[in-house]
Amino acid sequence: MQDNAKGSQGAGESGLYNRIAVLRAERGISRQELADAVGVNYQTIGFLERGDYGPSLKLAFQIAAYFRLPVEAIFSTEPFELLSRQVYGQGREMAAGRPEPNSEESR
Amino acid sequence: MRAELVFFGRRVSMATRQRRRGLVVAIYGSLLALIAGGWFLDRWRSTGGMSLWLALLACMVFLGGHYTRGLVKPFNGKPPRQPAMPPALLFLRLRLYQPVLAADEEAYRNDERELRERDRAHYRAYQGMGLALAALWFPALWLVQKPEWLGRLGADAGQIVFGLLLACFALYVTLPQAILLWTEPDMEDEATR
Repeated sequence: MQDNAKGSQGAGESGLYNRIAVLRAERGISRQELADAVGVNYQTIGFLERGDYGPSLKLAFQIAAYFRLPVEAIFSTEPFELLSRQVYGQGREMAAGRPEPNSEESR
Repeated sequence: MRAELVFFGRRVSMATRQRRRGLVVAIYGSLLALIAGGWFLDRWRSTGGMSLWLALLACMVFLGGHYTRGLVKPFNGKPPRQPAMPPALLFLRLRLYQPVLAADEEAYRNDERELRERDRAHYRAYQGMGLALAALWFPALWLVQKPEWLGRLGADAGQIVFGLLLACFALYVTLPQAILLWTEPDMEDEATR
């Protein structure tokens, strides 16, 4: 979340990074819609996005199911890698035909 | 927690922490003034009961927690019961109307973060009540020992104990909600962002 979410607010009090804000923006979903879908207050979605609240396992799985993604794609104890690097950085290297020295293809 | 308060038909936004803290200060200031004034008026013979009712009224109208109205959602997360008969004091009830449907259980249910904050607030209030009880210890001891110096000051230990008990009761019914209103950060009005 640090790099991908708006404001780069980091893990906050919870010590947990997440990509909820990015996924919501990407899919055009409001906080209220997400909150209704997972059965929490929309304020709680804001706390989750800012990293000020660490969700229960149940809520984390509900959010993951809503976005149809694995939990580890949304929540992490480590900062997420930049989406631009994941998408474009990798793409540029593939186009140039030279994989990164530490990437899996080079091993 | 709710972001707005409906008071005699007017909707007042309480989304900012500053406003909520102002409300808490106003409520405790009024209670303190009533309890302190009651000592001078009639040594709490009748004003003591009034201060207790004022504390309950503050919960009912502003703070919530023990009631379905007010800023803090009911601690038990239950919606109000639907009476079969039309309510008494219908006019007053309409003036205090909350913009949520009684049947809308979601509006009264605390989610997991709200439950955690509720429990935290109760733990802090429990610690505060422990201090209040410790403060009650000394006048209770004077009630038994009846020290001479207290008589010379013109104070009665029984009255001091009664006054502190009033304050303890007022704290007991209002403190968890006050802690929640004091500590929760600014709320975002827009749910659509």
